[in-house]
Amino acid sequence: MKPAFTLFFILFLSSMIAQTTITGTVTDNKEIPITGANIYLDGTYDGSSSDENGTFSFTSSETGQQTLIVSFLSFETYYLLKEITDMKDLDIKLKEDVNSLGSVVLNAGSFSAGDNSKTSVLTPLDIVTTAGSAGDYIAALQTLPGTSNVSEDGRLFVRGGDANETNIYIDGLRVFQPFLATTNNIPTRGRFSSFLFKGTNFSTGGYSAEFGDALSSVLLLNTIDEPDQEKTELQFINVGLGGGNTQKWKNSSLSVNAFYINLKPYQDIIEQRVEWIKPYESLSGEAVYRHKFDNGLLKIYGGLNYADFELIQEDINVPEGANFGLKNRNLYLNASYNGSLGNDWDITTGASFANDYNDVKVVDTDIDDDENSFHLKLKLRKRFSNRFKLNLGAEQFLNTFSETADSPDFDTFKTRYSNNSTAIFTEANVFFSKKLAMQIGARGVHNELLDYTKISPRASLAYKTSSKSQISLAYGDFYQAAKNDVLKYTTTLEPEKSSHYILNYLYQNNGRTFRAEGYYKTYDNLIKFDTEFAEFDSNFNNTGDGYATGVDIFWRDNKSIKNLEYWASYSYLDTERNYKNYPNKATPNFAATHNLSLVTKYWISDWKSLLSTTYNFASGRPYNDPNTGVFQNQKTKTFNSLNFSWAYLISQQKILYFSVSNVLDFDNVFNYQYSNTPNANGDFARRAIKPNADQFFILGFFWTISTDKKDNQLDNL
Amino acid sequence: MKTILITLTFFTAITLNAQAGYEKGMTKAFDLWEQNKTDEAINLFERIARAEKENWLPFYYAAQVHVFTTFEIKDAKEIESRLKKAQDFLNEAKTFSKDNAEILIVEAMLNTAYVVYNPSVYGMTHSAKVEELYQKAKALEPENPRAMLYHTEWKMGGAKFWGKDPKAFCPEIEKAILYFEKEANHDEPFYPNWGMNQVERVQQNCK
Repeated sequence: MKPAFTLFFILFLSSMIAQTTITGTVTDNKEIPITGANIYLDGTYDGSSSDENGTFSFTSSETGQQTLIVSFLSFETYYLLKEITDMKDLDIKLKEDVNSLGSVVLNAGSFSAGDNSKTSVLTPLDIVTTAGSAGDYIAALQTLPGTSNVSEDGRLFVRGGDANETNIYIDGLRVFQPFLATTNNIPTRGRFSSFLFKGTNFSTGGYSAEFGDALSSVLLLNTIDEPDQEKTELQFINVGLGGGNTQKWKNSSLSVNAFYINLKPYQDIIEQRVEWIKPYESLSGEAVYRHKFDNGLLKIYGGLNYADFELIQEDINVPEGANFGLKNRNLYLNASYNGSLGNDWDITTGASFANDYNDVKVVDTDIDDDENSFHLKLKLRKRFSNRFKLNLGAEQFLNTFSETADSPDFDTFKTRYSNNSTAIFTEANVFFSKKLAMQIGARGVHNELLDYTKISPRASLAYKTSSKSQISLAYGDFYQAAKNDVLKYTTTLEPEKSSHYILNYLYQNNGRTFRAEGYYKTYDNLIKFDTEFAEFDSNFNNTGDGYATGVDIFWRDNKSIKNLEYWASYSYLDTERNYKNYPNKATPNFAATHNLSLVTKYWISDWKSLLSTTYNFASGRPYNDPNTGVFQNQKTKTFNSLNFSWAYLISQQKILYFSVSNVLDFDNVFNYQYSNTPNANGDFARRAIKPNADQFFILGFFWTISTDKKDNQLDNL
Repeated sequence: MKTILITLTFFTAITLNAQAGYEKGMTKAFDLWEQNKTDEAINLFERIARAEKENWLPFYYAAQVHVFTTFEIKDAKEIESRLKKAQDFLNEAKTFSKDNAEILIVEAMLNTAYVVYNPSVYGMTHSAKVEELYQKAKALEPENPRAMLYHTEWKMGGAKFWGKDPKAFCPEIEKAILYFEKEANHDEPFYPNWGMNQVERVQQNCK
């Protein structure tokens, strides 16, 4: 009987243990009651939810020191260690979780695309379904404000800066030749297939200390961490064909793709302004391998690209035209590792390597150049708390360039140099509250070849003015070393410098976004020379300067009209610079004062069709007319283009795609080339520089083969 | 001997008490959920989960209530916060139970919630995930009735979108019913066995 008695006694005892009542109120820092917060004693079932007045009460049989935990969605979890008997009439104030939705975001200067960023203005799909982009993610970014429409070039011209002032990064590592090799007036496109990327961050100014050697802008592309599923993709288009395959294993995956482009059949049918001797032909292959470790992720990317073309370029000074041929081979490797070191330390490290080889023939000059570039980077991030994070890192760039030029006019001319630089950076991220955040950092760089050391401060501040709007400010200094075209003739130059001052206003409400940004940018130490082009006998100096100021407006609305998404961008730009061989400060040809883009995407479910249109407008572009005697004071007529694309989903995995650029056949002029010598009347004759075809047609068929029969390639178009 | 017996009895009593507490707690949480006190139910599941340490079930149910709740609400911020929290709970559940078909099914529903709430942003990226998760769940438990039923519903949604006849998938509902009937009672208390009452709703597509 005794054990039974003991059992009874124990059970009796446990129900007799004194109960303590715990009471209190949960509010936010403005004393507004929080309903539904979870209040409990750590390690026990004892707890309760707060009611509509924020009050709670529950009993517990625990004794002594206990930890009380209070948690609620989008607030930081609260811990209180106290004697349980003292847990009465508690006044608990929860702090808002600064990492949650609705927090202020440091976004001055930048646009992000992706589904995980709080201020994304574009989705990944937008980038590729934009009419006129023809699957090129760079072309889609040109519909954002802050970029100038320079459609004969294809690269990014940001806020009065030329295309060399933008750097592109994949997974934080430099891409050295992001664009396909081309020549004057033949627009280029991004070298990488857009389906590899999950997120894009395009900064038009004031960007982080992590990045440098770019006066105007950085474009950050992040590759996919884990592909959704195994699949095979086939693409057939009127200018080429391609295929890809993705395989997945438990902790790793591999994607490979290849693409072949040949413009010959197309150009045989559609008339071109340029006489092609050998139409553009290219073969490219890419592979990405990803491996997940317990505490990190390794990604290895490799791309190889070969392109070949030859044409006769019109030239007013050479009546028979100038023969230009190019063979390019580009290899790019990028390996990055991102992982946790424990104790709230994260590491991001990696290396990229590029080998770029060009064999160029201009009339009877033969130029071969070969360039090897390395980027090594290590970045550490320490999270001290949700509200304070510190980044620090170091990077090394190694670059060797060699060129051999052969011409009947001169002997073989050889150039070779190594351009190495080292940089360190640090940046602190501080959230004072959910409403106010700051990022402050600095970057130091030493360039061995040009023998300079520069330190550039960067800062940005953001303040949430209401639940739907915020304002932010950014400031930064930026340095950029001279490029190959100058470095091969001189190595005694200072870096070019710019400073950005940015004020941004952002309003987001239920599918509608309004963004306005004003900026002022100064340029110093711009490189000048005294010949028509940079040449071996040019005299170079750093006496150039300039400025750019303007306003960028962006409006996006996904809600007002069913099945229609649209955005509109407007940029006002006032810029002048004195650089290269300019006799005085003037607005360069690439900088139109007004740029406007209107992008629409309309989904017709009955037709299973996505119809997209993009309208681009730019005011007249400045050009120089030697007949006037004033440098660069003329303007071309306005630029207009309406692009249209139609994606028809035959079935879930088969898409038929058609697109045409410049549907209304506007006659656009980018610039004028004037004769070097006046004619008998003393006038300089001219030639209009126009697109080499007014319209471009694409017809394609995209087929995805996967086990689930769901996926398709709409996101590749 | 007596001491051993007493000690033994003592420990049994303690565990019995703890076990009783767990069952009482879980039962209460289900009651709250039934009474539509969703947040209180989630809070209780979370409390149990934190106290139990290595049990995946309370995390699983806390996540499930969040996911189901988002199908009823409109506020974008609340939907995103709940789905984020639900994913956190599922991740915790996964640390205690790897390769668990039930967790994958709720994760598939969580991703479905994203697609339903904002197709233009999440349609492309999350649809493939939903599909993959159902496939994985079925690979682990080919006769799981919930995997069968909800995967079928998802496929029917796709067929409707593509202007095809969702009835093509009706035989799969029959299979799900069969699996529900066959579903044995699990040894583990509160092991998921829900879903039978949803059959009728999904069958609407077959009329």
